[in-house]
Amino acid sequence: MKRSLPFEVFRYAAIFLALAVTLVPTLWMVSMAFKPIAEWSATGADLTWWPKAPTLDNFRFILGTSTSDLIVALDRTAGKPILASLLSAVFGTLIAMTAGTAGAYGLSRFGSGQNLPLALIQLRLFPPMAVMIPVMIMWAFFGLVDTWWGLALIYGIVTLPFAFWLMKTFFDDMPREIEDAALVEGCSRMRVFLKITLPMMRPALASSALFVFILNWSDYLIALLLTTREWVTIPVYMASLSSSMTGQLYGAKAALGLIAAVPPVIMGIAIQKHLVRGLTFGALKQ
Amino acid sequence: MKRFGAFTALKTMDLEIRDGEFMALLGPSGCGKSTTMNMIAGMESPSEGRITFDGADMNGVAMGKRGVGFVFQNYAIFTHMSVYDNLAYGLKVRGTPAGELDRRVKAMADFLQLTPMLEKPSAKLSVNILQRLAIGRSAIVEPAIFLLDEPLSNVDAAFRAVMRTELKHLQRQFKQTMVYVTHDQLEAMTMADRIAVMDHGVLQQVGTPLEVYNDPVNLFVADFIGSPGMNLAKGMLADSDRGMVVDLGVLGISAPLEPAIAAAARKQAARDVVYGFRPERVALAASGAGLAMPVTFIERIGARTVVHFGDGEKRVKAVFDNDVAISTGETAHIAIEPGAARLFDAATGNAIRGA
Repeated sequence: MKRSLPFEVFRYAAIFLALAVTLVPTLWMVSMAFKPIAEWSATGADLTWWPKAPTLDNFRFILGTSTSDLIVALDRTAGKPILASLLSAVFGTLIAMTAGTAGAYGLSRFGSGQNLPLALIQLRLFPPMAVMIPVMIMWAFFGLVDTWWGLALIYGIVTLPFAFWLMKTFFDDMPREIEDAALVEGCSRMRVFLKITLPMMRPALASSALFVFILNWSDYLIALLLTTREWVTIPVYMASLSSSMTGQLYGAKAALGLIAAVPPVIMGIAIQKHLVRGLTFGALKQ
Repeated sequence: MKRFGAFTALKTMDLEIRDGEFMALLGPSGCGKSTTMNMIAGMESPSEGRITFDGADMNGVAMGKRGVGFVFQNYAIFTHMSVYDNLAYGLKVRGTPAGELDRRVKAMADFLQLTPMLEKPSAKLSVNILQRLAIGRSAIVEPAIFLLDEPLSNVDAAFRAVMRTELKHLQRQFKQTMVYVTHDQLEAMTMADRIAVMDHGVLQQVGTPLEVYNDPVNLFVADFIGSPGMNLAKGMLADSDRGMVVDLGVLGISAPLEPAIAAAARKQAARDVVYGFRPERVALAASGAGLAMPVTFIERIGARTVVHFGDGEKRVKAVFDNDVAISTGETAHIAIEPGAARLFDAATGNAIRGA
């Protein structure tokens, strides 16, 4: 298709802008993670993209192996918060995906009426704070505050609607003939679901799980409210990286941010081929 | 009978499919043929009436327990499995011993020329191969009834011809009872032992391909079967010195009737009728004889030439050899071959046939 020149210029300008908005902060974080303290708040000519004296001190600092010349000493390292984030996000994703997939399949195949799917998403209509106050009371009652499993549970509940809705559209799109073909061969419904439907839904499961995982992984508010000390997560811990003497520990935060970016990136690369909802959704020509 | 809410998809009908028979359910889309098929398979249950296999009522029997094989229009291949695993699936579910399973999978692969791709993932196969695989996957368990729902409508034309012969071959070899849903009369004509023609949820006629073609029981079948369909001209019965004739008002002729048909018409006291004759049974007549009509359109379709005469109400189609000397605009004289005429009651649409 032939496009006019002004349109092309506009198109590229829009793409460039979008890239700049996403890439500049990311690259700045990467750069900052390797800058020594002297460069953290440099201004004017001293402000460079490339660290002048690249160092791994920021990583050593938050992981507790060295305080080097950072003056302040941390009362704890990033190790436990990383573990807390991993455990709560992974198990939260498992809960949401398991319940969401089962619910979506049931509703897609046997459901009637449209109210239930909508009701599921109503949780998202309230401001999170409004929901969180009763949750805090309940969690305190059950002794779930400041535990990774308490956090995983609420993550699973909060992201369940997303898992459900994503999986439901995937199930709705899957041709029923494929299941009928297995049923006609004498397969039980459960076996069809486990041996035919789920394996064929792998791409859908992978991309939905990644989406849910990122939601859980990047949560700040819920973790802030439901953890106090033992099981704070990366975002909560990151917010604490400052001191009255040095102010914000930018380099340390950037280093932690870089570490936090690793799991989603690895997952994204691992399931890259599944991310595009391909034509391989069963060999079907509509 | 099958109703979906207020909509009746299928009216009460009585259809017997014999053991080892290739039965085609033929009709335009929405005629109820797929619904019939789904009820045989057990995917849907009849609102009224019964489906029996060998005398046993199938109502309430799960589709996995009916011993039917089903081939879908869109293949429904398990794309996460290899060709081998797809073929082996039905046998595996039935708990067939490994040795026998392997032997039967290989035999079926051999029969369908799938051997070279047995270990390949099925996701990357061509549409043609996918449907062949789907047929193999259902046929391998040698189901009591093999149901095929428009299996060839997505494959390309050349392959369709190949598959028609292969399917017929498969059916003969295994003496397989097959029910084949299609809207393509060529498929029904070439493969079926008997054809059930359906329209608007009503079974119109059941018969061998030739019966359905030669002696349609009503106007729908007459028009639907054949390509092009039967010529149908409105007329009125009249008595003349030649016996009973049909006065084909618009065509301006009176056509004589065979004594048997005339007798039947007289018995029914029919008056307004439709006079039908196959385009294949129209011949060119000598100048001055027969019916003079202008040639309006010529379709040359390879082996044959379809010629359209006249227009509007006054219209006749004819099929000639491909080298027929005729051109658009000229006036030709045509005659209907003796014995070609079929008569229908204009009010009911039913055929008026001699005993």
